[in-house]
Amino acid sequence: MFDLEFNIRSWSDYLRSHGSFKNTDILEMESHLRDEIDELTQNGLNAEEAFLIGVKRLGNVNQISHEFHKVNSDDFWKHLLVESKDPIESRKARTNIRLVIAFSLFAGTLLKVPELFGMQLIEDSSAMFYFKNISLFLFPFVALFFMVNHASSRKWKIAILSVFIMTAMIINIYPSYSPSNTELLTAFHLPILLWLVTGLAFLGKEWRSGRKRMDFIRFSGETFIYGVLIFCGLMVFILFSVMLFSAIQVDISRFTVEYLIVYGGSAVLMVAVYLVEAKKSVVENFTPILAKIFSPLFLMTMVAFLIAMLVLGKSPFMERDFLIGFDFMLVLVLALVLYVISSRGLHDKANVHDYLNFALIVAALIINSIALAAILFRLSMYGITPNKVAALGENILLMINLAGLAWLYSSYFRKKIEFQQLENWQTEYFSVYAVWMAVVVFLLPIMFGFR
Amino acid sequence: MEIAKDLVAASALPIVLAILKESDSYGYSIIKRVKELSSDEINWTEGMLYPILHRLEAQELIDSYWKESENGRKRKYYRINETGLRELEMQRNQWMTVHSALTQLWETEKH
Repeated sequence: MFDLEFNIRSWSDYLRSHGSFKNTDILEMESHLRDEIDELTQNGLNAEEAFLIGVKRLGNVNQISHEFHKVNSDDFWKHLLVESKDPIESRKARTNIRLVIAFSLFAGTLLKVPELFGMQLIEDSSAMFYFKNISLFLFPFVALFFMVNHASSRKWKIAILSVFIMTAMIINIYPSYSPSNTELLTAFHLPILLWLVTGLAFLGKEWRSGRKRMDFIRFSGETFIYGVLIFCGLMVFILFSVMLFSAIQVDISRFTVEYLIVYGGSAVLMVAVYLVEAKKSVVENFTPILAKIFSPLFLMTMVAFLIAMLVLGKSPFMERDFLIGFDFMLVLVLALVLYVISSRGLHDKANVHDYLNFALIVAALIINSIALAAILFRLSMYGITPNKVAALGENILLMINLAGLAWLYSSYFRKKIEFQQLENWQTEYFSVYAVWMAVVVFLLPIMFGFR
Repeated sequence: MEIAKDLVAASALPIVLAILKESDSYGYSIIKRVKELSSDEINWTEGMLYPILHRLEAQELIDSYWKESENGRKRKYYRINETGLRELEMQRNQWMTVHSALTQLWETEKH
C-alpha cells in the first residue's frame, strides 16, 4: 500500500538533510507538490503515480530533489555507511570518518596524559579528578568535529575552544575542602554546561535560531541513544575478550581497563556523533518514539501517585534528599515533552500527543508544587548548603519552564498563538539553563568557600 | 511552436510581476496562469519560477506571506510592492519599445 503522507515526508526530510534549503523554502515546495498531486489525482492518476510525477517535475528545482527521485526510499538504510556516488559527498564522508578516528585517538591519549603526573584512572585518589574533568576530555573534540564539518568561521572556532580551555583552567585551579560539596556539584553540572557550549559549536552563526536549536535537541537525544547502544556493544566486546583470554590463563583485564575502555569510550561518543550527523533525518529519529511510548505511562504513574497521596493522606516529602528526586522528575517530564514536540510538524493540527504533553506538564507541576511547599519548610530549618541552593535553583527553573510551556500550550489550544511561538520560547529558555549551570560551576564554589 | 529559452527567461520577470499586479499569488498558481495566458505555449518549470520568486523577494520587489487555503494547506503568497510596481513600469516601457520596433518592421515587410 502506498503511503502518500509518509512519502511526502521522507521527500521533504531528504531535502532538509541534503541541501542548504531554508525551512520555508521546503514548506513552499511541499505545498506546491501537494497541489500538483491533487490535480494529477483528479485527472485519474493514483497517489503513487501522482507523487512520482510531482517529484519529478519539482526535480529540476534543484539537483537534490532530482536525486531523491533517483534513489528509492527503500535504499535509505544502505546509504548510511556505504560510499555515496556523488564524489563531493563521498569525499566529505571519508574526511569525516578520518576525523572520527583521529579525534577518538586524541581524546583517548589526552585521557592518558594525567597518568604521567601520577593520576591513575582506576585509583580512588584520582577518581574525582577524572569525574570532574571527563567532559573536558571529550566534548571539545565533538565541538571541533561540528565546526570542521559545518565550516565555521575561525573566530567562532577560537571562541568556542577558548571557552573550553578557560573552563578547564578555572575548575582545576579552584581548591576543594572537605566535604567537597561544591566540587561534586561542579562534577555533575559541568557536563551539562559544556554540552550546551558544544551546542553553540553545532549551531554556529545561527545560534539564536529556534529551528536550529531544536535540531540540536534532536541531535542530543539521538546521540545519547546511539551512544548507549554502541557502549553496550563495547561492553560485550570487552567481556568477550577478557573471557577468551582467561581460557588460556592470560589476564588482560588490566589492559582492557587501561586501553580498551579509555580509547573505546572516547570512540563511542565520536562514532555516535558521526552516525547521527550522517543519518540525520534520513531515518526516523528514535527518541521521539521512545518519548511517545513512555509519556502515557509516566502520566498514569503520576496521576496514580497523586490519587494515592490524597486517599492515604500521606505526605512523603519529609526527606530533604527527595528534592533531587523531584528535580529528576521535572527533567524527565521536560525531556518527554520536548522530544514529542521535536517530531511534530509546525503546521500540524493539535493532536492527542499535544494533549498528553499538556496533561503530563500539569501533573508534574501539581506534584512538584506540593513537594516544594513541604521541602522548603524543611530546608529553612537546616540552613543553606550548596547542594540545596543548586537543587532548589534547578527545581524553580524547571518549574518556570514547565509552567511557561503549560501556559503556551493552553494559548495554542485556544488558537491564540502559533505552535512556532511555543517552540521558540522553549528553545530560548535553554539560555537560562546555560546561565544557571555556569553559576553553579563557577560562582557557587566561591560563595561557599569551596566546601 | 517552441519559444526560445532565452526569450522565456527574459520575459519571465515582467510576466511574474504583471501577474502579481493582478492579484497576490503563489508558485503553483502562477505557473498555471502563465500556461493559461499563453494557451499552453509557455510552459514554465518549477525550477525556473522559484529561483526567480526568491530573487525578486531578496531584491525587495515583492513581499511574501503565508496563508492557509480552504483545505488547510499553507501556501506562500507573493505580493508586489511599490518598488516592484516601478520596476514593472520600467520593464513595460522597455518591452513596448522592442514590441513597437518589431511591429513597425513587420508592418513594412508586408507592403
